[in-house]
Parts: sequence; C-alpha cells; structure tokens
Amino acid sequence: MDKSLHLNTVIKTHQITKEKDLLDKHIQKKNEVKEALEKEYGNNVYAPFNSGSYAKNTAINTKFDFDLVSPFKRNAFGANGTLKEMYEAVYDFLYDKYKNDAEVRKQKVSIGLEFYADSDGDKIKIDVVPGRELNQDQYKDDENLNLYVYYKYGNIAADSERIKTNVQSQISNIKDRADKEKDSIRKIIRLLKVWKNTKYNYPSKSFFLELITIKAFDNGAMTGSLWNKLKTVIEYIKDNITNDGFTLKDPGNSSNDLADTLTDSEKQQLADDMKNMLDRIEENDENIKTYFPENPKFKEEDKNSYNTNGGMPVPPPKLNFG
Amino acid sequence: MRDRVSEINTTIESIPDVKLIKPFEQSKFDIQGCISVFVEGLEQPLNFDVSVSPQYPFKSHDTETIKFTNGNLLEYKHIMGNGSICIHTTHSPVLSEKLGYDITSVKAWIKKYYIKKDTDTHYEHLIVPDKVFKDSHFAFFFNEVAYSFSRNQFGFIDYSTLSNGVFYKENINSNIIQKFYDINRKVLADVKWNFQLKSFPISSGLFIFLKDAPSKNQRWIFDDWKEFEPLLPQDFLKFLHSVEKNAQKEKGKYLPLFVGYNITNAEAHWQVIMLEIGNFPIYGEKVNQQWLTMIVGNRSIDWAITRNCSYKYFFGRGRLNEKLTNGKILIIGIGAIGSIVAKTLIRSGCTKVDFFDYDIKEPENVCRSEYSFFTGISNKTNDLINELCLISPFFEPTNGGYEFSEAFDFFLKSHLTDTTIKKEIEKQLNEYDVIFDCSADNDLLYLLSQLNISSTLLNFSISNHAKQFVCATEQNRYPFINTQFNGRVLKFDIDELYNPTGCWNPTFKASYNDINALVQFAIKHINSKFEKDKALRNFVIETDDTDCLTIKLKEF
Repeated sequence: MDKSLHLNTVIKTHQITKEKDLLDKHIQKKNEVKEALEKEYGNNVYAPFNSGSYAKNTAINTKFDFDLVSPFKRNAFGANGTLKEMYEAVYDFLYDKYKNDAEVRKQKVSIGLEFYADSDGDKIKIDVVPGRELNQDQYKDDENLNLYVYYKYGNIAADSERIKTNVQSQISNIKDRADKEKDSIRKIIRLLKVWKNTKYNYPSKSFFLELITIKAFDNGAMTGSLWNKLKTVIEYIKDNITNDGFTLKDPGNSSNDLADTLTDSEKQQLADDMKNMLDRIEENDENIKTYFPENPKFKEEDKNSYNTNGGMPVPPPKLNFG
Repeated sequence: MRDRVSEINTTIESIPDVKLIKPFEQSKFDIQGCISVFVEGLEQPLNFDVSVSPQYPFKSHDTETIKFTNGNLLEYKHIMGNGSICIHTTHSPVLSEKLGYDITSVKAWIKKYYIKKDTDTHYEHLIVPDKVFKDSHFAFFFNEVAYSFSRNQFGFIDYSTLSNGVFYKENINSNIIQKFYDINRKVLADVKWNFQLKSFPISSGLFIFLKDAPSKNQRWIFDDWKEFEPLLPQDFLKFLHSVEKNAQKEKGKYLPLFVGYNITNAEAHWQVIMLEIGNFPIYGEKVNQQWLTMIVGNRSIDWAITRNCSYKYFFGRGRLNEKLTNGKILIIGIGAIGSIVAKTLIRSGCTKVDFFDYDIKEPENVCRSEYSFFTGISNKTNDLINELCLISPFFEPTNGGYEFSEAFDFFLKSHLTDTTIKKEIEKQLNEYDVIFDCSADNDLLYLLSQLNISSTLLNFSISNHAKQFVCATEQNRYPFINTQFNGRVLKFDIDELYNPTGCWNPTFKASYNDINALVQFAIKHINSKFEKDKALRNFVIETDDTDCLTIKLKEF
C-alpha cells in the first residue's frame, strides 16, 4: 500500500472544516466562557484568549483543544494573593456557574469544562488556564504569566512550582512554523495528534508533540514522502526522548523545559510506543491504519470491501472467536 | 551388601573432623553405626547414632534415607521427636558423595542451631502426629477472623463437613469452621468463605483460646491430656463437663475442640482435638468441700489435622498483581477464552469476579473450556459459578447471572441513544476495575467503544486454529480488531472451520491446549505490565509451527 497516500487521506478526513458546525459550537461556547470571566473579574483580568491547537492551526476535527488562557492582574486576588488562591478562586467561580451544565474538573494547570452532550449529541470541552502577570500592569508590555501547577505534571511537582511563560509567544512560534511548513510540520503534528487520540489519556500534551516535531525538523534534513518525514520524526522521538540531556525549550520562556512535563517512565513509554509503531508498520504496511486511522465519519466507502463470487456478493465471514 | 557397609565406613573415616565411634553394621533392614562430629566452636564433638536405609543415597518420597540421631538435642531447632536432625541435602546417586553432603549438612546444623542457637525468620508449626480417630482422620480448615480472642476465652463453634476422602490408606473427613460463639451462643465471629461453603449443613463444636501454644519445647504438641493441666482453667473444664452432660443422647459421637494460640502478635493458629461424647478426659473430685473438674492422666490426645486457609496462605505460593487480585472484575462471554480467563483469575487470587453470558453449556463445550461433563446442560453462568466455588473459598460473584446478562445485552443494544440508560450502563460498568470482553461479539465491541468507561477494558479474541490471539485494550479497540481480522494483517485459514452438527453457525477449530497456551501467555503479559506499572497496549500473539513452535507477542 502507499503509506503516504493513506496518511494524506487521514489528514483530509480530520480537517477541521469538515466539522464546521461543531467548530462553531466550540467557538461560541469559548466566547461565552470568556465573557463570563470578564464579567466576573472586570478590570482584574486582561482579555482571555484561545491558546489551543485551533489558534495554532494544528487542530484536528476529533479533538478541538480549546484552551482559554485567562491572564489575571498581579493584585487580582489581593496584593499577597497566591497562585493557588487564584486557581482555586477561578475553579470555584466556574464550578458555581457551570455545575449544572458541565463536568468541572481540576487539571494539571487548567480547569476543564466538559459540557454535557447537546441535542445533537455533541460535547464541547473548554480548558480554562488561569495565569497571573508577574508584576502589576506588566502583562501588556511583556505578556508573561505565572501558571499554577495543580497536580503533578511530569517531573514538575504539584503545588510546589509555578510555571512562568509567555503563551502568546508559544502560539505564534508554533503557528508560524506550522503555517510556513504546512505540507510538512503541520501535517506531521496533525498526524501525531490523530495517533494520540487512539490512546486513553496519553500523558504528552499536544504542545509537547508540536515542539518535539519542530525540534525533529530542525535536527536535520527532512526529505522524501509524507511517510518518510513522519517516520523520521517518530525515529527522532524514539532515539532522543530518553536521553539525559534532551530538552524541549518553551518558546514562551527558554528556562522552561517541556521535557520535564513527562516523567522518566512516561518518556520511556513514549519511546517504546514509537518503536512498536515503527516495528509493526515495518512488518505490515496495513498496520499504519491502526496508528493513523481515518476519521470514520468522513471516510470514503471502500467499494471493494465485499468479496464477490461469480458475480454474487458474499458478506464477509466472522473471523474472530472467543 | 558387605560392600555398602564397608563403603560407608571408609567414607566416614575419610571425612575431616568425623570419627567412627561404632563402625557401621548391617542390621535387619538398615545399616547402623555411631559417629562423632566436630565443628569449630564446640568444646567436644557431638555423637550421633546413624541409620542408613536400603534406599540410600536416594530419598524415600521427600525424606532423606539417612538419620543422625542424638536424644540429648531435643531442645534445639529442627530436631524431630526421636532426636534426629531434620536435614535436606542435594541429590547424588553416588553413595560416598551423598554421604559427604549429608555430613556437611549435619555440620552446618551444629554451627547454626547448636552453637549459634539461631532462630528462623519464618514460624515453624508444632509437630502434630497424624492420628486416626474412630476409623478416620479429620481435617479442619480455618480462616482469619476480624475478632481478637482473649486468653482462656471459650465457647462454641459451628463447622461444616466439606467431603470424605482417602488419606494414604485411610479415610479422611475434611471440614471448615463457620462461626465462633460465646458460651451463651452469641456470635463472636463469622468466618468468611464463598457463599456455597456458607450454605453447607452445620455441626457444633467447642473452642478455647489459650494464647500460648500447647507444646513441649515449642516444637511438639502435647501428647497426653495431663500436660494440659497448667493451661486449662477450671471454668473451662466445668464447661466441658456441662456440655457432655447435656449431650448424653449423643453418646459415642465426636465433638471437635478447637484450641487456639498466637503464633505471632497478630496471628492466631488453631489445632483441633477430637472428643468423644461420653468419654471426655475429665472427672469430678471433691477438694475442700468443693467439686472440681479434673483432667484424666495417661490418656493420649486425639489431634486432628488443621490448616490455616486464610487468603495469604491459600494464595501464598503465587498470585497475580494486586490490580487484578484486589480489583473488581467483569468477564463478558465465558466460552472457551472467557471460562479459561475466569478460572485462571480465580486460581491466581482474584475474588470479586462477575460474568455476563446468556449462553447454555452443552456437552460439546467441555473439551475446550473450564466446564465439566458432570453437570450436564446448564446456563454457563450458573455452571461456572459452581466450578469456581469448588476452587476458591474466597470467590465472591456479586452480579451477572443469566437474567442480568440478558438484560444487559438487550439494553446496551437497543437503548444506546437513551442517555439515561446509557449513563446507567456506564455507571454499572465503571464499578469494575477490569473488564475482559471475551465474547467475540463485534456488535458489543462497537457498542462498548461508544461508552465512556474508565475501567481497564481488554478485548480478547482468537483466530481459527488458534493461529493468533488478539488483545485490544486501547481507545481504538474497535478499528484495531477490524484491521487485524478483517483487513490484510493477520493471515489464517478461514476455510476449515468447525460446523457443529445441526447448527448453521460455524466456530473455530482449536483444542483446549491451543487456546489455553495463548490465554495464559496473554494474562502473563498483562500481569507483567501491571507489575511494572506500565500502560497496557494492544497486542497480538502469533504462533508459528512451520518448524519448532514459536509464540511471539507483538505489542502495538
């Protein structure tokens, strides 16, 4: 089989424009939450903005990744207010406001809102990321924010550290590269997100996959077909992620290392998964469909899926047993 | 024969620090002699009478056929009641070599237990003689209870007979203890067993908790009733008297007396004495104007066999990872694969296992699953519950059964769009830590993939001739199974299926051995992942018998 042809079909069936209605629902819900935060916190919050993959142009239509960064002023929770107090206050507000409409969950650095399915059966998920400027009124100049780590995030301990970053720089960094190299970097990022969606709660964040893809591209010449490029990135991850000196610098703050968002055993698991993927696809091209499936909702019918026997259609037999 | 005797004498004389005190000679059966053994640290050598059986240098069953005996060593560890040292040495078919190993072992015993007076870290049970009582041996199994007995506490017990069997050349009657009561028949502790064992007919017995072991040298259990005199309080002896008096109509029947003591601060052990009603080892005597109950002397004690069958001992020799053994497990589909999974889990320490299946067990199912011919045609769920209750006293099925399985299948397949029912099904399934879907029902595979389930879900299925075994456990279970079986990945024969007579639905061909080998391989892999706290991945086990059989696991 032509693996690159399959991968291009995968990307096509995952195009965000194919789910325009669902996308619009996400945008609308994101705007509602944004307005609610602005109304609640007034002058204490700068304009919340979307930092998810939609903003970075790397989204796929099976998972929209809407992250709403909410930049608070330094004194929004009192001159001596802590980051924890900020996080808890935002959680309390969102919980009170949405407890009847959504599951409201504390997550690593964000608060997850998973709205109950609407009449179409669609579920909208928005992650609110509370951040606080470093000094009063400084955000408009440097766009730097401190984030609170609610629970253990890779090697970053819960409640013991804050993450200082510049989310706007993160967005523009990824978006610029993805837009410029849309036939390579953007496609590979989207494919890795498709792969990640075949797993339960994979520990590596989308941001991590975006950065490591860019780093793999920066590592050396990336040539050949789409499959060859993807294979090179997978090999790069497999060969480097567990190395002692391996770092993934946050474009929002070069002293943050995104490699720290995975524990050593999670890095080993990622390397093992990359190895298994290459081995299985090497053994049989068809296995690429397991790792990079088409979105069945937009899959084109396979006209040859039924065997024929002298012109009479034969239904496929049952082949797995218990 | 003469050569054997001289070889023993010659070998002994050649071993350093060992001397012949009395040269070996052939007696009626054994070869006997006396030796002295010196070990650094001894003031003078220790003497041993040595007896060599005709089987030597081979063992008889699991016992060494050479005995080193010294009646003055009874107070030391690992000495049998006749003063012989308990040794276990390595095998050798060469007499002189084996004798060398055995003498080395005796020297090691002297160093460790005679000179250094070492104690072992593990508890060594009292030696209890196997005795026949009224033409049968008796065995009693106990389990730990959530109750702490105090010194000299006594009362009644309930027990149930499990079975009558054969113990070497004699009969044996095996029993389980069910409940402890105080003397007013108020329940002190209910002993936990599976629901079938709890429903067995009840008989009565007695208990006393001594706290200290009824032993000589912490090694041998009392053999004469008189030895109990300092331990048994007068009010307990009076209780015995009143029990016997009230049971006069039962004269000649037996009554077990459970004798408890602590083997560690936290752990109690029980021995059982068989009493005959009308022949209790007690008598009344007037002392200072008061009737006292006394213990008869020169009367041997009829000890029964006891075994601690609490969970940690029952599964002490090996069990699966705690994620499985402590987890609540559901098996959907208990055909060949599912019934093997169920039995493996139960034998390996799992207790909370439910199963869904609406199928009927037929005689032709027996050859490659865990059912018995003996029970005839029956619901698979009912039949398997019975099979598993026979294996583990701790098996606790809570849900499932035929009617539940029917309802589950109906509601899942017909009401998935009803959000209330969907949520209820999700809630029911999320109560399980691990769900094994062994149904090979692709409709079910699809429907389960549409539910929000937080449990670990493993889908097991197999190809014709058990060529491949596939486990799907990730988010993409449904497309994974489809790609493997219906795509162009797994290669297997699809023409030679088995068509049961009178049935239009063909099934796969494979024997119990074919299937079980792959199921055990899969469970071992999953258990190993749990042991290492690693994430589970889809996997395929492929067999290849073109040359030597190879079994290879490929993880995705």
